[in-house]
Amino acid sequence: MARKMLVDEEMNQTNQEEAYYDFDLFVIGAGSGGVRAARFSANYGAKVGICELPFHPISSEVIGGVGGTCVIRGCVPKKILVYGAAFGSELEDARNYGWELNEKLDFNWKKLLHKKTDEIIRLNGIYKRLLSNAGVKLFEGEGKIVGPNEVEVTQLDGTKLSYSAKHILIATGSRAHRPPIPGQGLGITSDEALSLEDLPKHAVVFGGGYIAVEFASIWRGLGANVDLFFRKELPLRGFDDEMRAVVARNLEGRGINLHPQTNLTELIKTDNGIKVTTDHGEELIADVVLFATGRLPNSKRLNLEAVGVELDNTGAVKVDEYSRTSIPSIWAVGDVTNRMNLTPVALMEGTCFAKTVFGKEPSKPDYSHVPCAVFSIPPLSVVGLSEEQAIEQANGDVLVFTSTFNPMKNTVSGRQEKTVMKLVVDAETDKVLGASMCGPDAPEIMQGIAVALKCGATKAQFDSTVGIHPSAAEEFVTMRSVSRRITCSGKPKTNL
Amino acid sequence: MATTSFTAPKLSSPTFQTLCRNLPLSLPIPKTLSSFSFHLSPFLSRFHLHHHHPTPRFHPRRLFAVRAESENGAEPLRHYDFDLFTIGAGSGGVRASRFAANFGASVAVCELPFSTISSETTGGVGGTCVLRGCVPKKLMVYASKYSHEFDESNGFGWKYDTEPKHDWSTLMANKNAELQRLTGIYKNILNKAGVTLIEGRGKIVDPHTVDVDGKLYTARHILISVGGRPFIPDIPGSEYAIDSDAALDLPSKPEKVAIVGGGYIALEFAGIFNGLTSEVHVFIRQKKVLRGFDEEIRDFVGEQMALRGIQFHTEESPQAIVKSADGSLSLKTNKGTTEGFSHIMFATGRRPNTKNLGLESVGVKINKNGAIEVDEYSRTTVPSIWAVGDVTDRINLTPVALMEGAALAKTLFQNEPTKPDYRAVPSAVFSQPPIGQVGLTEEQAIKEYGDIDVYTANFRPLKATLSGLPDRIFMKLIVCAKTNKVIGLHMCGEDSAEIAQGFAVAVKAGLTKVDFDATVGIHPTSAEEFVTMRTPTRKIRQSSESQVYHSFSVLCIDTCSLICLIFSNLITENHWS
Repeated sequence: MARKMLVDEEMNQTNQEEAYYDFDLFVIGAGSGGVRAARFSANYGAKVGICELPFHPISSEVIGGVGGTCVIRGCVPKKILVYGAAFGSELEDARNYGWELNEKLDFNWKKLLHKKTDEIIRLNGIYKRLLSNAGVKLFEGEGKIVGPNEVEVTQLDGTKLSYSAKHILIATGSRAHRPPIPGQGLGITSDEALSLEDLPKHAVVFGGGYIAVEFASIWRGLGANVDLFFRKELPLRGFDDEMRAVVARNLEGRGINLHPQTNLTELIKTDNGIKVTTDHGEELIADVVLFATGRLPNSKRLNLEAVGVELDNTGAVKVDEYSRTSIPSIWAVGDVTNRMNLTPVALMEGTCFAKTVFGKEPSKPDYSHVPCAVFSIPPLSVVGLSEEQAIEQANGDVLVFTSTFNPMKNTVSGRQEKTVMKLVVDAETDKVLGASMCGPDAPEIMQGIAVALKCGATKAQFDSTVGIHPSAAEEFVTMRSVSRRITCSGKPKTNL
Repeated sequence: MATTSFTAPKLSSPTFQTLCRNLPLSLPIPKTLSSFSFHLSPFLSRFHLHHHHPTPRFHPRRLFAVRAESENGAEPLRHYDFDLFTIGAGSGGVRASRFAANFGASVAVCELPFSTISSETTGGVGGTCVLRGCVPKKLMVYASKYSHEFDESNGFGWKYDTEPKHDWSTLMANKNAELQRLTGIYKNILNKAGVTLIEGRGKIVDPHTVDVDGKLYTARHILISVGGRPFIPDIPGSEYAIDSDAALDLPSKPEKVAIVGGGYIALEFAGIFNGLTSEVHVFIRQKKVLRGFDEEIRDFVGEQMALRGIQFHTEESPQAIVKSADGSLSLKTNKGTTEGFSHIMFATGRRPNTKNLGLESVGVKINKNGAIEVDEYSRTTVPSIWAVGDVTDRINLTPVALMEGAALAKTLFQNEPTKPDYRAVPSAVFSQPPIGQVGLTEEQAIKEYGDIDVYTANFRPLKATLSGLPDRIFMKLIVCAKTNKVIGLHMCGEDSAEIAQGFAVAVKAGLTKVDFDATVGIHPTSAEEFVTMRTPTRKIRQSSESQVYHSFSVLCIDTCSLICLIFSNLITENHWS
């Protein structure tokens, strides 16, 4: 249909600028954002091509796979391992509920690993089918931009294909990077961590972000000794400080050794394993060292500079609010733009792109009240502002409601771990500005809360909602007394 | 505040306070003074607060003066032992009492002695929820869920040398220790709030007097919050049946149990016993379980439970229980007899505890089910007597009783008449898998709104793809076609109860489908499915003869979210097969 439309236009010659292109849209990268944009654009009638590197669980400049980070090296395999690891403590908790289990439980890492790989291969296939069902033409190979309307795909056998496209979308995502320390090659990134042949006995994790705490939780849950090193006082910079402290406490409670304000300085291979040295002069031996010190946009080999697509100093593609780059016919969505690096955000950006370019409905992605989750064990989930952000942005007072409680399950299991919930409220408007929770099921619980926050729900509306009893979530609608009031009105306001 | 018109400085003098308390109640009250009595009562209440350890103030000789009632309905200025006397210290009673005390009222509450099994003479502070309902039930659900988790964990690489065995007595001991702790906490809560707790059976003597085991207490207001109890129909052999009270405290594991009933209690216990490795048979009168719930949810939960090994006997009504020589029980129904049960549990409804409360004699009206009739403010037909919770048989849920209790305290002691709001009350069934819901069922929505759009998702969660178990999740949104408001939300599957709560805030706030769609998902979760349902499964239009269509293929190819597909195998398993 798209082709026919183009042919008609060509024949009519009504618009001189409507030159003939092989595709209305060519997408480089078939991850969350790219697939979404490609499918939706095709649904609007566009003729769409997409290219992606060949599949493998571990990514590189020449390896990728349809489905992208989320499906192959991110959310999905990670969550599978978190499920697997969470059973470790679940099974411990079963004893006080009357279950008689062996003293030592048997866990077969290889089985989990193979089933995880089977699952991502299956999903990779589903994604390919999704694309073909939508009428999107998939090319396997490395994409490169040759001109504002020209892409080149280098196939596996080295042959090059060249296509013209009215619009080009860069959705190549990002990759984990290693810090420049001696012996960095001995460490691994999250890609390898999801596909280790053997379960580590003693793992060192370097980093304080969500990836670091998730892997620390996974390995600890499966029985490994874990040392977690990070630069700040608390892990999870950018999250609510109080919740960061809760996560740190929980990680420690689960037996992870935390090393705040500590950097790794060197890795050395020894007969017993990798010798890790820190800037505090500590030394320890680990069989696995994970660098979870950040990810960088995959923008290097796309030839962007040559065609004039601007990058920022981190290598991220610069885009406007509609995801358009400095070249009008070239667009970018997802992690390669380093805006908010989450799968559902890339989906939103992809959807908005398709609407803007092919749906005749200019749409800006809305980054307000984007909820997110950290799948540590137990997990953290948040939406809206942290207490610190709320205070920063407030005109009037900020009310903070917190609830710290022993989840009912723990009353019998004896597990010593509190669930913490928090609401940050604008005292003047009564609007709930932020919600956070750390405890079992937090990500599942937070989704509905996110709908309420997105629409400006007030504390009064939370209070008027009847609880579901007995649940953890009901605590969010039964926080009656304010924990503290922070006066922000006295804060001097300047224009500087 | 209003009392200032009554020359506040003088009022607060101790002499006057004493005077007020000791006013001879039989004195004719001057009209002017009596009109101020409304303002006076909060003042009196605050005075009582100064007593840090309120004790029952019992003055028998004053009882003779109690009958004084003013003609215009205003409270006469007279002394009562308490501003509020609550009968029953369950969820509703404790909430109302505490809040009333916090607002400055002097409050007493009476409750029967603690026992895990309720009767005319036993109960316990905390009530059904804490001692014989929500809490022990949920603890048993936690315990029983493990057998499913063991199965799941196999798929994630965990192995057991020997099949995990369950020790019943460990569970019961730990559960009962927790209940003892909670009943203690509730007593403590009352004590801290300054509420006087009296152990014994309360009975109403007159509109302002309660008798507790022979002692009389007067009160400006009486609150009945005595709850409900399981009801077993009178059939031959019903003495061999157990109810939910007993089922929560069995001395040993039931080897083979029959559960009669198809309501939420029946389903919850079916899941519990099944998980704790009993053989479970459920006998229901209808074709489907959970009458009153959304039809698709009813179908889905029945199917999922059957897949976990529960045997359903539909359209079977119990006629008799026979005990055989070996001690085993047989259940005779209209369709035949099933033998060999170690236990037969009836989950055939609950009845309000309104017997022997003295209600008839004071004129408190009860309906044909035995529930106390109340107005929107929870007031009974006797103006000084109020009732909240299950005894009124409105919506029998703990959080609703809490809402009613809180509203009543506001109405009575904070000059703020408050009606409980029964719109969009969410609820959960802790069956396995559980159900969470808020708002209308599809059937109710059609009746009420006519034109609706229904969005559904039926998928295999990520966990099940690894565990290999046949677990699925069903979700449903019902949207008013005219206003775009989400008027019903239903889910059956893991974490449903927890997931529904946040959405209940959104539904209660009257949010629209557009608002849901504008919310970004949390990935990867099950809950995100509720914000990524793009195409209606069917649109129902009353105007054009229930034009119903299924758009499965559209759903899959064009619009169903990727995320949904990832976790659901929608293409391969749900729609194409």
